[in-house]
Amino acid sequence: MTTTIDPSTTTPEPAAPATALPAPRGKQRKLKWPGFGLVSAVVFLGGLTLMAIFADYLSFIPYPDALIPGPDGRPGRYEWGPSWTAWFGTDGVSNDVFSKTIYGARTSLQVGVFATVFGIVVGGVLGVIAGYFRGWVDRVVMIITDCLLALPALLLAIILVNRLSDLAEDTSWLGWLSRKWTIVFTLGILATAPLARIVRAQTLSLREREFVLAARSLGAKPGRVMFREILPNLIPAILTVAFTGLSILIAAEGALAFLGLGVEVGTPTWGKLIDENRNKIDEFWWATIFPCMMLFLTVLSFNIIGDRLGRRFDIRQAGV
Amino acid sequence: MAGTGKAHLRDSPDVLLRIEDLVVEFPVGRTGLKVNAVSGISLDVLKGETLGLVGESGCGKSTTGRAIMQLPRPTSGSVQFEGKELTAMQGDAMREARTRMQMIFQDPISSLNPRRKVRQIVMEPLNIWKRGTDADRAKKVDGILEEVGIDPVRAGESQPHQFSGGQCQRISIARSLVLDPSLIICDEPVSALDVSVQAQVLNLLEDLKAEYGLTLIFIAHDLAVVKNISDRVAVMYLGKICEVAPSDVLYENPAHHYTSVLLNSIPVPDPEVAVTKTAIEGEPPSPVLPPPGCRFNPRCPAAQDICRSEEPQLRAVGEGHFVACHFPTVTPVELSSR
Amino acid sequence: MSTQIQASARDIDGPLLELKDVTTHFKTPRGVVRAVDGVSFTLDRGKALGIVGESGSGKTILSRSIMGLLPPRGTIRGGSIKFEGREIGNLDRKAMRSVWGKEMAMIFQDPMTSLNPVMKIGRQIAEPLQIHLGMTKQNALATAERLLQDVRIPEAKRRLEQYPHEMSGGMRQRVMIAIALACGPTALFADEPTTALDVTVQAQILDLLGEQRRDRNMSLVLVTHDLGVVAGHTDEIAVMYGGKLVEKASTKGLFANMKMPYTEALLNSIPKLEDRSHTRLSAIAGRPPDLVNPPKGCRFAPRCPYAAEKCINEEPPLIATAEDPNHLYACWYPVGSEAYHEAKVRIAASKHATDALAAAGGN
Repeated sequence: MTTTIDPSTTTPEPAAPATALPAPRGKQRKLKWPGFGLVSAVVFLGGLTLMAIFADYLSFIPYPDALIPGPDGRPGRYEWGPSWTAWFGTDGVSNDVFSKTIYGARTSLQVGVFATVFGIVVGGVLGVIAGYFRGWVDRVVMIITDCLLALPALLLAIILVNRLSDLAEDTSWLGWLSRKWTIVFTLGILATAPLARIVRAQTLSLREREFVLAARSLGAKPGRVMFREILPNLIPAILTVAFTGLSILIAAEGALAFLGLGVEVGTPTWGKLIDENRNKIDEFWWATIFPCMMLFLTVLSFNIIGDRLGRRFDIRQAGV
Repeated sequence: MAGTGKAHLRDSPDVLLRIEDLVVEFPVGRTGLKVNAVSGISLDVLKGETLGLVGESGCGKSTTGRAIMQLPRPTSGSVQFEGKELTAMQGDAMREARTRMQMIFQDPISSLNPRRKVRQIVMEPLNIWKRGTDADRAKKVDGILEEVGIDPVRAGESQPHQFSGGQCQRISIARSLVLDPSLIICDEPVSALDVSVQAQVLNLLEDLKAEYGLTLIFIAHDLAVVKNISDRVAVMYLGKICEVAPSDVLYENPAHHYTSVLLNSIPVPDPEVAVTKTAIEGEPPSPVLPPPGCRFNPRCPAAQDICRSEEPQLRAVGEGHFVACHFPTVTPVELSSR
Repeated sequence: MSTQIQASARDIDGPLLELKDVTTHFKTPRGVVRAVDGVSFTLDRGKALGIVGESGSGKTILSRSIMGLLPPRGTIRGGSIKFEGREIGNLDRKAMRSVWGKEMAMIFQDPMTSLNPVMKIGRQIAEPLQIHLGMTKQNALATAERLLQDVRIPEAKRRLEQYPHEMSGGMRQRVMIAIALACGPTALFADEPTTALDVTVQAQILDLLGEQRRDRNMSLVLVTHDLGVVAGHTDEIAVMYGGKLVEKASTKGLFANMKMPYTEALLNSIPKLEDRSHTRLSAIAGRPPDLVNPPKGCRFAPRCPYAAEKCINEEPPLIATAEDPNHLYACWYPVGSEAYHEAKVRIAASKHATDALAAAGGN
C-alpha cells in the first residue's frame, strides 16, 4: 500500500497496527513519482509501438522496401552510414535500416505479445486447474510440462515450426496459419510450461488459504473459486513473469530468424535484420548494431516495467 | 480416553446436528502411515445450543469442524444435519446443504480474499446463490455490516488489509450470516485477537446468536473462552473425546484428569493464585502412532496398567456429564439411576 | 571497544536498565507515527518486568527500541536508554552487535520464522557460541546439548541432529530460548513468547523462563497483551497505551490497587473461569488511537467510560500513588477516586434506564 517504511512490517503483533488505521477518506493517497528508468521504459515502448502502428502514415519513415539512392545518386550496398538521409544507415540491398527496424518492430512485438498471451492463457488455465484439483489432473499437467521443459527449447522450436508449417501447407482449413502465426504458436507453447508451473505453485499455496475454504463452504462451484477467488491473487505473479517472458520471447523470435526460421520473405523482423547483416559487421556495423540496440532496449524496458509491477503488487501483498 | 461410546448422545427432536463415529485420517506422504486426526467421535448439538470443542493443537477439534462441513469429507462415520445425512450427499445438494451451516476461521486476515472489496466479500454468498435483486442484496449486506459494527460505506471502498484483525473477524462473521444459516462453526475465532478485542467479538457472537436464533459450535484451545460462550463443552485429546459436560459443571467438577490439566494451565490474572500452579510435563504424542489404550495415559498422573491396554468408554458421572476414563475424579453413576 | 573500558564504564550498583523519555517515531506517508512517546522507567538486575498493552500500544516497538532492532531508515529515536550505566540508545547496529547475545537477547512470538529451516538445531545453537565466545566446535556442541537440557528438551543429544520442522511449536520455542541463553545474557526480552502456543505449553514455557531467570540471575522483560500471562511470572508490570506508559507498579501492588481505568478494563475483558457461562464480558469499546494524530488530553479518554472534560483537554502526568512511591499512574480520576465512583453510578443509572426502556419496548 505504501512504499516508505511502515512500522507494521517490523511489528509481528497479533493484528496489523499502522496499516489498519482508518485511511483518510476522500483524500487521495500521495502518488510517488515513478523513477527515471520506468518513465524511460514506458516512453520508449510507447513511442516504438506508435511508430510501428502508424509507420505507413509517418513521412519520416520510408517504406522498408524503398531503395535509398547512395551519395552518387544510385542505390548500392551499404552506401550510407548513420546520416541525415538514412538515420540508421542503409543495408546490403540499399533499404533504410531505421525503416526496417520500425517495421520489424511490428512483427517482433506482435509475435512476442501474442505468444505471451497464448502462454498465459493456456499455461495459466492449466496451472490453476492442476493446482486446484491436484490428483491425476495435476499429474497429467506436470508430465506434459516436464516433457516440454526437458527437451532443449531450440530443438523443440525447430521441430514445431517445421511440423506446423508442413501441416499448414497440407491442410486446407489451416490456410490462415501463416509463418508468423506458426512462430507465435511455437513460442506460445514454449512459454506455457514455465507459466503453468509458476501458476500451479501459487495456486497450491493459495488453495490452502482460508478464504478459499470460506468460498467453498458458501457453496461456490470450483470454477467460481478458481477464477473469482484464486485468479485475482495470481495476477501479480503472472504479470511479472509475463513481462520477463515477453522479452525472452522477442529475443527468441530473433534467434529463430537467425536460424533461418523467420517469418515470410519480405517481412522485416529484428532477428532477420541482424541475421542478414551480421557477416558485414566489421565494415558496416550500423546495419547490425541498430536492430540489436532496439532489441536490447525493448527487452530491457519490458523487464523494468515487469519488475516494477511485481514490486508494486508485492507491497500491497505485504499488508495481507 | 477413548471417546468411543455414545452414552452422551441425546434423543431429542431438537437435535440439529448429530455426528456418529466420525473418523478422519490423512496419509503421511507416501509412507503408508496415516495421521489419525479424528478417531471415532460422536457428538450432538441441539437447536439454539452452543457446543464448545476444546483441546490442544493436534487434538482434532478443527478437523472435526471441517469434517462436519464435508471439507474435506470424513474417512468414515455419519454426519446428520437437519435430519439429512451429509456424507452421502453429492454435487448441488451438498453445496446447497453447506449454505445452512457456515464457518468462521482463526486467521481473520487470511480468511478474506485480499484482492476484493470488503462489501463484495460479504455480498459474494448472495451472488453465488443469486438471491434477490441487486437492491435486496445491497440492503441485506449493509444491514448485516452495520449489525457487526462495520461502516458499509468504508467497506465498499476498502480491502481487508485496511482493517484491523478484530474488524476482519467481524467481516467474516457478517459474511457467514448473509445466507441465514442455522449452524455456525467458529474455528478459534478469537485466538489471534487481543484480549480486549476478543471480548468484543465474543459479545458480538452472543448477541447475534440470540438475534438470529443461531446454533454454534465453538472451537478453541482456551477453556476460559469456551466456558464463557458455551452451554456444553466437549474436551478432546488426540482425536478422541475425554469428557462432555455442561460448561459450568465441567469447571466446577472436572471428571477427567486431562480436563483438570487444561483448567490448571489457564493463566489467572491474579498474582496470588498464579504462583501456586504447576504446569503439566510433556506434549501430546504424535497422532501418527497414538498410544494404545487411553490416549492420555503417557501424561496422566493416575494411569494404571488397564489405561495402557484398554480404551475407556464414555459413561455418565452426572446429569449430562460424561467421561471416558477408567479412574475418573468423579464417581460414575448408573445410567438407570438418572 | 576493549572489555576493560566496558567494565570501567559499567555501573554495577545502579539499575540494569534505565529509560528516560524514550521516543520512537516512524515517518510514513500519512505523517509521523508516534509509536513510543516519552517512556521512562528503570529495571533492576534479576527482576522480571511485564510490558502489557493492546496491539498498537507501542509495547513491541519499545522493546525493539531498547534492543536497537528497528530499521534505521525512517525511524526517529529520542531520549536515553542506559544499560548498566552505559548509553546504548544512540548506538548503531554495528556497535549493538557487542551487546546482543552477551548482554541482551530476544525471543519472538513465532519460533518457526526465527529459526533457519535448513540448518540442524545443534548447529544453530553452536554457531553463535563459536563466533561470540570463540569455542571449539566440540565444546560448542557440548554446550548446546547442555542448553537443550536446561530448557527441558528430552533426548537433547538426538535433538541436536534435528531440523526445526521436525519439532513441535513448543519445542521450537524452547530451542529459541536455548539460543537466547547461549551467551549468558544479563537481560532477556520475550515478545509475546507464548501467543502462538497451546495453553498447556504456554504454562510450561512461562515456568521455564521464570526458572532460567532465577538460576541465571537474569532480568526478564515479558511483552504481552494478556494480563493473565504476566500475573504469575513478573515482579513488576508496565502498562502501555497509545505509545505512553500509563501505569507501572509491582505486580502485587498493581493487582491489589489498580489506578488506571485502562488497566482495569484490560483485566475485566479477560473471561474468568469462575464466572458462570454466558456472563457478559466487559469489552473495551472502540479502538486504540491513531498515533499520527493522538488525542490531545489523555489518550485513553475517547474510550474511557469515566472520562470527564479535563481528560479530553489535558494530558495527565505520570505520578506516584499516596501509599506507594513505586506505583505510578497517569490519570486525572483514577480508579477509587470520587469522580470515578460518581461516573460509575452515572453509568449504572443510564444502563438501568436503557435496560428498562428495552424491556418496555420488548413488551
